[in-house]
Amino acid sequence: MTQPIKLSIPGNPKYLGLIRKVLQELLDNHDVPDDTARRLILCVDEACANVIKHSYEGPCEEPIEATFTIEGNDFKVQIRDYGKQCDIGQIKPRDLKDIKPGGLGTHFMNEIMDEVSYCTNRANGTLLTMIKKLKTGLTTTQDKGDG
Amino acid sequence: MSIDLKLDKTGDAVTVSVTGDIDMSSSTKMRDALAPLFQNNNKVVVVDLSGVSYIDSSGIATLVEGLQWSHNSKNKFRLAALSPGVKDVFEIARLLTVFEVFETKEQALAP
Repeated sequence: MTQPIKLSIPGNPKYLGLIRKVLQELLDNHDVPDDTARRLILCVDEACANVIKHSYEGPCEEPIEATFTIEGNDFKVQIRDYGKQCDIGQIKPRDLKDIKPGGLGTHFMNEIMDEVSYCTNRANGTLLTMIKKLKTGLTTTQDKGDG
Repeated sequence: MSIDLKLDKTGDAVTVSVTGDIDMSSSTKMRDALAPLFQNNNKVVVVDLSGVSYIDSSGIATLVEGLQWSHNSKNKFRLAALSPGVKDVFEIARLLTVFEVFETKEQALAP
């Protein structure tokens, strides 16, 4: 697939199901195994939820633009928002031994994806890029240690 | 996307059966249903997840809250019938062993 698939949704949780469905269809079309597809969908959903929560500070009509590319073995997703820029240094997964609600989204993305990077080098908003190598199969929790 | 919730009280146990995707848009509804159950005389609260194929971190957070409420109220809080996708999310979060998890709702309701 050389042509990226682009989808723009309002920054509102009610559209997260739509973005999951589109991505599921895309991954099905590329014969991505179900368990890998589920994890990729989780990462994209969590990234969009973080945009709504932190960049837009709540549901709004501002756009979340997702661009999906499958090229060779690489699945790449870019999530662009136009809200408050994140402090990249502050984005880190919390200690999982501390059992408490919240803060797992970043852990899921770091655990599942091979590359996660944030770019705030623009007038407003953030561009998140996540890459997963599809043919290496699932990365287990053991493979990546405690995150 | 919304979820359907069904409450079923049997003796001093109550089962909440959830159907649909639990995500940022629907987890609040589950939280609102669960919270009062720990204030009543329910010795066991079971969440039947057999109708759930997707859960995100907000859904997991709600269930962790349920666990905390159960510790405070000295009730049992049990999860039943996790689909492979839901179980996988618990595993990535290292939470599968933190909860009491049962294969079926009936097993979760057993004394």
